[in-house]
Amino acid sequence: MAATPSPALPPPRGSGWRAWLGSPVALLPLVLVAAIVIVLLYASELRNFGGSFWSLNYLFDPLTDSGSFGVGIFAVGTAITAIMALILAGALSLAIAISLTVYLPPIASRPLTILTNLLAGIPSVVYGIWGYVILAPYFGSTLEPTLQNVIGFIPGFGGTRADTAGGTGLLLAVFILTIMVIPLTTAIMRESLRNVPKDLVEAGLALGATQWEVTRRVRFSVARGGLWGALFLGFGRAIGEAVAVAMVIGASVQIPSTFYGGSTTIASFIFYQLDSAFTYPSLLQALVEYALVLLAIAVVVNVVGQRATHSDMIAAATGGI
Amino acid sequence: MVVGHDEDHSLLNPTGHVRRRLALDRAVRWLLLLAFAAVLFPLLDMVYWISARAVPAFTWGTFTEDQVGLGGGLHAMIIGTLFLIGIATAFAVGIGVLSGMYTAEYAPPAVARSARVIGNVLAGVPAIVIGYFGYYALVLYTHWGFNSLAGGVALGVFMVPFVYRTTDIGFASVPRAQREATLALGARRSQYLVRVALPIALPTMLSGVFLAMAIGLGETAPLVYTAGWSSSTVTGLLQPTSYLTGAIWNFYDFPSTEGSFLTLAFQAAFLLIVISLTVNIAIQVITDRYRRRLRGLFQ
Repeated sequence: MAATPSPALPPPRGSGWRAWLGSPVALLPLVLVAAIVIVLLYASELRNFGGSFWSLNYLFDPLTDSGSFGVGIFAVGTAITAIMALILAGALSLAIAISLTVYLPPIASRPLTILTNLLAGIPSVVYGIWGYVILAPYFGSTLEPTLQNVIGFIPGFGGTRADTAGGTGLLLAVFILTIMVIPLTTAIMRESLRNVPKDLVEAGLALGATQWEVTRRVRFSVARGGLWGALFLGFGRAIGEAVAVAMVIGASVQIPSTFYGGSTTIASFIFYQLDSAFTYPSLLQALVEYALVLLAIAVVVNVVGQRATHSDMIAAATGGI
Repeated sequence: MVVGHDEDHSLLNPTGHVRRRLALDRAVRWLLLLAFAAVLFPLLDMVYWISARAVPAFTWGTFTEDQVGLGGGLHAMIIGTLFLIGIATAFAVGIGVLSGMYTAEYAPPAVARSARVIGNVLAGVPAIVIGYFGYYALVLYTHWGFNSLAGGVALGVFMVPFVYRTTDIGFASVPRAQREATLALGARRSQYLVRVALPIALPTMLSGVFLAMAIGLGETAPLVYTAGWSSSTVTGLLQPTSYLTGAIWNFYDFPSTEGSFLTLAFQAAFLLIVISLTVNIAIQVITDRYRRRLRGLFQ
């Protein structure tokens, strides 16, 4: 699949940075990335960075159009939801990927592979309305009180009935994010496991190992990069999701004492807050800076994920082919 | 397995640690399949509930009327979505196909590698960040106010990586012998690209374009602060417009007792699911057929 440098073609003009000059069109995605960064940097004027920006203090006073704009609360909310969702999605999509590549016969795994591909196409806002209208009442009245009774002794899962009211909150956000991330992580994990050389697997089986032993000792060690890369790319998707999270997380600027309480994330906050910020220049500026922070984290996570994963696998997984 | 001697029972009737290992293998298999089912269940639940809320309420008016007051239909939003997707696809195909062809065909290997990484980085930029970019670059600085062009371009930026990636894959997967044969016969590179490579790469490219359209169709974050909102049907490039995902975002927290807002939101969600599934299945079919054709051609 990868582009193979062909000996039949003339050698590239120049090398190093000059090679870039010779291929202006290949730069267009780079131009777009650069434009995004430049526009956001220009809009933020970098005025609020430093000082209270890297703190948990968020306090905005609309009357004076001023306040302290710490990114801390949003960062914590983002980290909690994304990491919890990723742990769940990672485990579940590993299970699905192994089922599809190892245990299920082709007649079952082919349609199920297509099905998991189809799930990637369901719009995030659809997950959001399902979460808010259908799931939230169920979470608030049934699931969360049950969790309080059964595992309430675990810190974060206790609290009073008032905490679960409404059902929106961290737990529901984690649930929705988990389901949204699974198609992507599953696709990359599946491709990584599928690309494990057949002779290695068959050598293991021929030595008398069971399928699970071969999976654990051979497939995992060969596919390790792709499996980790899937987690990183899934993490990037989870922290960037704005709409569905804004709908189900309860949208309150706080770090709740239990997982049932409302909170917010960087992406969802800058999404639902922007229209009320049009009239407040200082708030608007803070939001742009949050967007920059989010962009920086997303790019770093994405590049790390790409380094771990073979690019063909990302292509095969996310290109739908 | 049976070698012919009665005393060799160890393989057929495992005992001791072999038995434990086989039992573990079986247990793991069932556990994994159970986890698979556990993931599919909530998704079926979602499709069921959205259909249950949306389908009984569909009338002709849903498709032909604009949303007015407490009632009306999705007409303006359907048109608006098609309009935005049209602009976005033009933008994404323009940039994605050019740079994809360049990356696969002309770029020196080192440049191609970095270009692919950057393409994937663009795919990883959160949609809301692209929305902010569109808001500042095409709504604020231009003084145009909310407009469809800004919405379409922001959506297009979001879609570029998908088109770019599949174009690149499509052209790079042309068998090397085809390319060398063409060039050896004295063809110019542009002739090779158009006459030989394009027909082979086209199905992959098209599936990428359709995929990008299906994904763009379902995006909300790049549009809310660029395309704005308008309850009547869009009239021009520099006018604001409504769109299906926006119907969900704007109406999802209305109580079901108040007007038809919530029903409209569910109907929009239902339409989006149906369109997305249809397009994605079409992509699978195209890709499958193409793979079969490739196998026939080159093996």
